Amino acid sequence: MMRKGDSLPTIEKVITQERIEKYARASGDFNPIHIDREFAESTQFGGTIAHGMMVAATISEMMAAAFGRDWPESGGMKIRFRSPVKPGQRITTQGSVRRVDVSDGVRKISCSVSVVKDDGETAIAGQAEVSLAEVSE
Amino acid sequence: MEYGELEAGQVVSRHSYCLDSALVSNYVEAVQDGSGLLSDDSGVELVPAMAVAALSIRGVVEDLRIPGGTLHVGQEFEFSGAVRQGDSVDCVATLAQNSVRGDWRFLVVECLVSGEDDAELMKGKSTIMIPADLGPREVGQ
Repeated sequence: MMRKGDSLPTIEKVITQERIEKYARASGDFNPIHIDREFAESTQFGGTIAHGMMVAATISEMMAAAFGRDWPESGGMKIRFRSPVKPGQRITTQGSVRRVDVSDGVRKISCSVSVVKDDGETAIAGQAEVSLAEVSE
Repeated sequence: MEYGELEAGQVVSRHSYCLDSALVSNYVEAVQDGSGLLSDDSGVELVPAMAVAALSIRGVVEDLRIPGGTLHVGQEFEFSGAVRQGDSVDCVATLAQNSVRGDWRFLVVECLVSGEDDAELMKGKSTIMIPADLGPREVGQ
């Protein structure tokens, strides 16, 4: 059972242009900032960047690994996209339980979550919550 | 699309999608989700929560003809029910806020995803920044 201060499982991935293009087709988001190198090079990013939702999917994967079916049934998150992820960068999720509240037989677990790039910069930061049916220990 | 004419409360997108196995496997492959799909009590595989979230935004991107250079700066989700592979969902997106700050237009869009029995499955809120000096660009090029 998760307690305050516990760490969530870490998820690591390398973002590639091929995966970005697959995500564009899967999500229907063909914004040229993600898939058009010439266009992307003319922007402040100097090249293509991954979809924010593609990077955020790693947080959801981490929450599903930690909480199973309770995540899609009662989870939630609030995140900010702080810096872009470029092809070739490795990303790693970080998460820890910052609060546990029990009320009316429900254990509500609040977590700090983030995605950090291999250059040490934070790509995404925010909070996630999930509600679990309380089971007496 | 004249973004300045969009008003808070306006429905900007309404779509139905079937989350079949092909759609789910394409999504899982794209995000390299190695955790394996969860299943419900009867053994039917569940759709990853963020695949549902991505679909909820898809209609917004298409219908608002979001221009190149747009940035997705914030996102909120609340999941209230798992979606099984093969299920259909309805996604309705409503504009919550439309404002200009400096060189950027901020649009806040709220999405509601419901199942075949109208049960709410997910609520989301997306904040995007559109360059004020860029016109709409056709998506899907």
